[in-house]
Formats: sequence, C-alpha cells, structure tokens
Amino acid sequence: MATLSTILILPVGIAAALALARFRGPGKGMLETLLSLPLVLPPTAVGLFLLELLARRGPLGGWLHAHGIEVVFTWKAVVVATAVMSFPLLVRSARTAFEEADPRLVGIARTLGCGPWAAFFRVTLPLAWRGVLAGTVLAFSRALGEFGATVMIAGNIPGKTRTLALAIFHDNQIGRDDRAMALAGVTVVLAFTALWLTEWITRRRTWAVEP
Amino acid sequence: MIEARIDLPLARFPLRVDLKLGRGVTALMGPSGSGKTSLLESIAGLRRAARGRIALEGERWLDSDAGIRLPPNERRVGYVPQDAGLFPHLSVRGNVRFGLRDEAAAESAIETLEIRDLLDRYPVSLSGGERQRVALARALATRPRLLLLDEPLASLDVALRQRILPYLVRIRDRWQVPCLYVTHNVGEALAVAERLVLLQDGAVQADGPPKEVLGVPAVSREAEAGLENLLAGRIAGHDAEAGVTRVELAGGPAVSVPYAPERRAGEAVTLSVRAEDVLVAVQSPSGLSARNVVAARVTAVERTGADVTLHCALEDWDRGPTWFARITPAATAALGLAAGNRVWLAVKSHSVRIV
Repeated sequence: MATLSTILILPVGIAAALALARFRGPGKGMLETLLSLPLVLPPTAVGLFLLELLARRGPLGGWLHAHGIEVVFTWKAVVVATAVMSFPLLVRSARTAFEEADPRLVGIARTLGCGPWAAFFRVTLPLAWRGVLAGTVLAFSRALGEFGATVMIAGNIPGKTRTLALAIFHDNQIGRDDRAMALAGVTVVLAFTALWLTEWITRRRTWAVEP
Repeated sequence: MIEARIDLPLARFPLRVDLKLGRGVTALMGPSGSGKTSLLESIAGLRRAARGRIALEGERWLDSDAGIRLPPNERRVGYVPQDAGLFPHLSVRGNVRFGLRDEAAAESAIETLEIRDLLDRYPVSLSGGERQRVALARALATRPRLLLLDEPLASLDVALRQRILPYLVRIRDRWQVPCLYVTHNVGEALAVAERLVLLQDGAVQADGPPKEVLGVPAVSREAEAGLENLLAGRIAGHDAEAGVTRVELAGGPAVSVPYAPERRAGEAVTLSVRAEDVLVAVQSPSGLSARNVVAARVTAVERTGADVTLHCALEDWDRGPTWFARITPAATAALGLAAGNRVWLAVKSHSVRIV
C-alpha cells in the first residue's frame, strides 16, 4: 500500500515541486500553504475531510459510486489516505532540490537541441535527483506509518485495510504485545533498509567529486 | 545572414535593436547592463517576452506579427554563456556530445580547442579556461548556424585570455558561421571582429568596423590595445573656455573629456579609458594637471604579463563598474599597493575618449 501510494504521488509530486520551484506569482503562497496543510493538521482531521469527500453521499464519492468505484473502507482508501498524508513531504524536499538546479542550464540544454521534456530528463532531474529521492523515501516512510487518516477513512478491517501501523495498535490493544513487537520489528527493518539504501545511493561518488 | 529586429522590455529600459549580421564575427560592446546578454538570449529563443522579427537566411525564428516563435531547440544556435554553463553531472565528453549532431564537427572541435585530454574529467575539476573551451566545443558539436558568445573570456585572467584568443580566431576561420561576440575588451574586439556594435541602454549607439567605431588612431596601437574601461554617461555641458565637455556617468561622478561641442547636452555616450592611462596615487593628489580625480578602493591586484592590473571600486558609487588601472610592478611595490588600499585615480581629459 505504502509503495503503491508512493508510486502514485511521484509524478504529481514532482510536477507540483517543479511548478513551485520555478513559477512566481500571486497565489503561490496560498498554494504552498494548502499543499503543506496535511503536515500540520491532525491526521484524523484530514481523514475526516477525505471521508466526507469520498463517502457514497460525498461530492466525489457519489460520482465514483455512480461509476461503480467504492473507495471508503477498502484498500483504495488506504492508498488515498497515505498518498494525501505523504504528498507534502515529497513536494517540499523535491522543490528545494529543483530550486537548486540552475534554470539557466535548462536554457542551454534547449539551445543544444533538447525539447522541454528532454531538458527535464537530461538536466533538471539528474541535477535534482538526490532531493527527489530523499523526498520519496520520506514520503514512503510516512505512508508506512500513516495511522490517523487511514483509520478514519479505511477503518481497521483485518486482511483488508489493516496496515502495519494499525495492526501494531490493534495487537497491543487486545493484549498480544508479542505480535505487536514482531510487527514493529518488521517496520524497523523496512524503514532501516529504505533509509540506508538512500544514504548509500546518494553517498556514492558521482559527479560532484574529482574523477 | 541573420536579421534581428527585437523589442524586449527590460527592468530599466526596453531593448530595441535592428541588426543584420553577415558571416564573420560581430563584436557587441557596451557598459554592464546595457542589454547585451538579453539580446543574445532573445536570438537564442530564451526570452519569451521578446517581440519582433528574427530570421536566418530567410527562415523565420520569430515573427510576432505572424505569430511565429521557433523554440530554442529548433534554432540551432551555439550559445556559450559567460560562465560556460557546463552540465556538472556530465563528464567533458558527455557535455560535448550533449547536443551532438555531427560526429565530425565534434571531433574537429575537440581537436581545435585541444580538449582531448580532458574528455573523462568533470566540470568541477576544470580551470576557467578549460571550461570555456569545453563550452565552445559543446556548442560547435551541434553544427550551429549561428554562434552567440557571451564574454567567453571575461572570467579569465589576462594571460589565459591571450592563450584562448587564438582558438577563437581559429573557430572564426574554420567554421564560417555568423558570430555575435560580447566583450568588454577592446583588444579582443580588434583581434577577432570584423564589425563592432556598441549597445547602450538597450539601443545601438554605433555600428561599423571596430577601428572606426573605437577611433583607434594607429595600427601600431592595436597590438598593445589591452584592457579598457567603458563607462556609460550623458553629456552634462560644455565649457569652451576650459576646453572641456562634462559627462555625467550613470549613477557616478562627472568627468571631463576634451571639448566636444558637436554632442548635444543630455546625449547618451560611452566613454573609454585605457587601463594604462589611469594614474594611481595613495594620497589625495594636489597640483595635478589631470582634471579627473576620484577616490577608490583596490579590490584586486592582478599580475598581467609584464604589468600589474589593479581592479578598483570607486567610493561613493555603489554598484558602479570596476575600474582597471595598469601600472608597473615597480610602481605597485613602491606604493605598497594591495587589495583593500584606498587610492586616488587620476585621468587626463585627453585620455578619455567618447566612443
């Protein structure tokens, strides 16, 4: 679920980060604040908003229901909740990286025959990839640990919408601390691997040093 | 041939030029902030706000009236910005081959610019001169139909500049493409350009053969024509009695130049003072015949061949241009000159030319 939500937010997050990094104008501050809101709001509040929005009688949920798509209390809700909660982390990190990538280099790439897409993939992204990767890992870990919004909109249905974070809470509540500990161990391994991989990849000697 | 009629709003004034460039090198000179880089970027297609008409051999790159705007990647210009603008994540080879269109052209550029030994290195490990050569090779490898060089030698010290200049001459002779070459250096302009366009406040001030535009008196002076101070100003008034014309420098002091009654008061002019003609004093000079004396601070002392070039910032002129003064190493030692020193710069009226 965490992986799926991370994959889903990547293209949108990168586009949003790039837009925030490059464009100046009215409304930018407002947009930034809105995008970062899920970071500071109680997750349960975000979950509640999503629930209202996606419920069968909600504005978006009604339309989806008419098209035969149920979101609330299914695995899709888990993905939506984790995606919304982790999105700002990716955007913030990627945006800083894009701001540091010199836009003049993109102009030069254009004069060297690159279209806008080619310039992005051959210049902007390679210059900013560390920040994008760091943001992705942050977003992934957030998605892994997401609790509040998930429990509101997806519930805690065994085998369906019970995420690792929910399962740990549940097992502890029913007195199965041994199982909770084992699951917590799993999260430690997952998180450690992700962080360590990022460190390893970004630390590798690449272009920033003498050949 | 390239025609460029451009109208581009800038922060302080609009850039308005109408130029036709043939084969060969056209030097583009003018004070800092006169719109030189904006002009190059407009031609390259990097300024979306530029309006007007740009056409190469009749092929329209920009025609605002007809709604035509060719994106930069379809214009095939070789643009070399002032700081080289190499891609830091690519090796020299990766940079040169970035826009590769023609294997032979790339090979030839690598050969001409003598960068074969650098191919496996990364930009971070290159010197300023090496970077400029790589950037030139990268532009040439695309077989450009027009070269736009923005002060390709400006970030280099004088000795290095003199080493790279021959490469530029070689490029001019081997690749017969029109080239617009921004420089602050009269010596460079005389060495590589067949034509010189002087830009000030976004408008063409003078256009013609470099020697005529710069008014260089004799051929023998050409060889030694070195560093020049170019200053933008406006005619403030004439004093026939004193034999001088006063020119107010934009945002700076007023200076005296030889009496030039043909200039209207208020007319925008560019002044040129050779670095060799600037006298340096460590005390406020008195009883001097030189009419122009200004207080300044030495920002850098640069050894340039047999001479020393002082970089000075005028006091009471924030963000004014750097003034260059060329003196002998003996004078530097005798006056104990070092960066940070307060000095007075003196220039005879007759050493200031209106170009």
